[in-house]
Amino acid sequence: MAQEQLFMEGAVEKREPIPENVERQTMELNLGPQHPSTHGVFRAILTLEGETVVDVEPVIGYLHRNHEKIYETMQYPQIIPMTDRTDYLAPLTSELAYVLCVEKALGIEVPERGRILRIIFNEFQRILSHQLYAATFGMDIGAFTPFLYVFRDREKALDLMDRATGARLLFNYFRIGGLRNDVNEAWLEDFRAWIDNFEREGWPEYVRLLFENEIFRVRTKDIAVLPPDVAMAYGASGPVLRASGVRWDLRKAHPYLGYEEFDFDVPVGEKGDCYDRCMVRVMEMKESVRIIRQALDRLPDGPVLGKVPRGVMKLPKGDYYQTVDAPRGETGCYIVSDGGATPYRVKWRSPAFVHLQLLPYLCRGTKVADFIAILATLDPVFGEVDR
Amino acid sequence: MSGLSDVVRTAKSILTGHGITLKEFFREPVTVRYPQEKIEYPRGVRGIPSQKVNPETGDLNCTACGLCARACPVGVITVEAMVGPDGKKMQYPAKYELDYTRCLVCNLCVEACPFDALEMSDMTELSSFSSEDLVFDRDRLAEIWKRSHAARIAGGEKI
Repeated sequence: MAQEQLFMEGAVEKREPIPENVERQTMELNLGPQHPSTHGVFRAILTLEGETVVDVEPVIGYLHRNHEKIYETMQYPQIIPMTDRTDYLAPLTSELAYVLCVEKALGIEVPERGRILRIIFNEFQRILSHQLYAATFGMDIGAFTPFLYVFRDREKALDLMDRATGARLLFNYFRIGGLRNDVNEAWLEDFRAWIDNFEREGWPEYVRLLFENEIFRVRTKDIAVLPPDVAMAYGASGPVLRASGVRWDLRKAHPYLGYEEFDFDVPVGEKGDCYDRCMVRVMEMKESVRIIRQALDRLPDGPVLGKVPRGVMKLPKGDYYQTVDAPRGETGCYIVSDGGATPYRVKWRSPAFVHLQLLPYLCRGTKVADFIAILATLDPVFGEVDR
Repeated sequence: MSGLSDVVRTAKSILTGHGITLKEFFREPVTVRYPQEKIEYPRGVRGIPSQKVNPETGDLNCTACGLCARACPVGVITVEAMVGPDGKKMQYPAKYELDYTRCLVCNLCVEACPFDALEMSDMTELSSFSSEDLVFDRDRLAEIWKRSHAARIAGGEKI
């Protein structure tokens, strides 16, 4: 894609300049680690001048569980349930990154039904993650009601996940070579009903309740504008990058799982402010519904788990990398194998960790009340940031 | 942007919000009064792994091969085979312990079992005041399977 197409015009920063020639009196405010609006355990040291944020120092590591090192002691199939626990709001996409990486190394073919079901579950996961994002973002800036509406639908969706995968949150559903188990006709029927209901009732309700609300728009418009060149320089990906107007989606740019067969748009924002970062996610839910409908129409019969070599799984010597477009951005899994039964090294590229470094840039010059909104638009999951 | 149009738009969006919440009066409640009412778990939900019992003989299906212990990502399963009178190992577990405090409930032990001896039960409410209580031995795991199996048969399911 040409450079001029990637950028769009009109991304202008609108911030209050910090007054000069005034005796600067700053104070430090410690926010977190146990703060209900930090989406996990996250500490931010804010330097304030009055109510204006001068600087932010993010402190991470409160949820560090040493994932990458633990992987080195585990056999390849045993790592799958652990990948759930990195991005615990979208476990299936983390699993997908890992499983695709191992499959690429071993050259395993996934049956057609397994592949299409993976797409369905992956997009369903994206809807669930963005739904939760919309709910908690509303709550962070003071709108409690939309949260309840989202959780009404999310509860039914988690019941569907429960029936298909056996768990409500940490699914452990993808296997090297396909899926753990098939879904039956009754499930598919209920799933179609949920999707219909979501598109007809749920989604418009959230939009009318929260995103078209005037108070919400005033709170988020022109707050923390992220220009596209800065977003790219910081390595942003996913909705944060797309909100700045860069049409970059791994499903289109480096298709995996056969996403190129599906017809969908990539929503982009206009300015890259908090409102755009939010609306991009809201529009993505609609696109996911489109992909799911197409996938359901072409779902063939057959097995869901392909042929996997028997015995202890060993990857050929070398290194392998696979990225997927997770709800939060570009999730990457890098495996180095020395030919043994356990990986030599696994590196997890987590989008939320990369986005968190944007925080000082975005917050400088804004009001302290907007800090929570800015943090929420980056949609960090601290299980993934700290790993 | 005049102040008046701001007021009008804000009033409009508040009315829209109230309209949506008003609709909720005429909808069925979606909540369940949890401790009094319970939602039934769907078939295949993953609770604690339990030991299958042969309903005819009352013996466990387990042959103490130890594949589940090897498949476990966190190593919470301990299996020891029974030693027969002739000093040889028998295909029956003398000791089968599952430390539920560290269990991931990931289903990998069930998938590893070639003898259909393990099954995820639907028991999830297993909280206890002591961590020793959560180390389940062979007989307690079999007891859990019998309970969830009986519940399934009572629910009209064919095994």
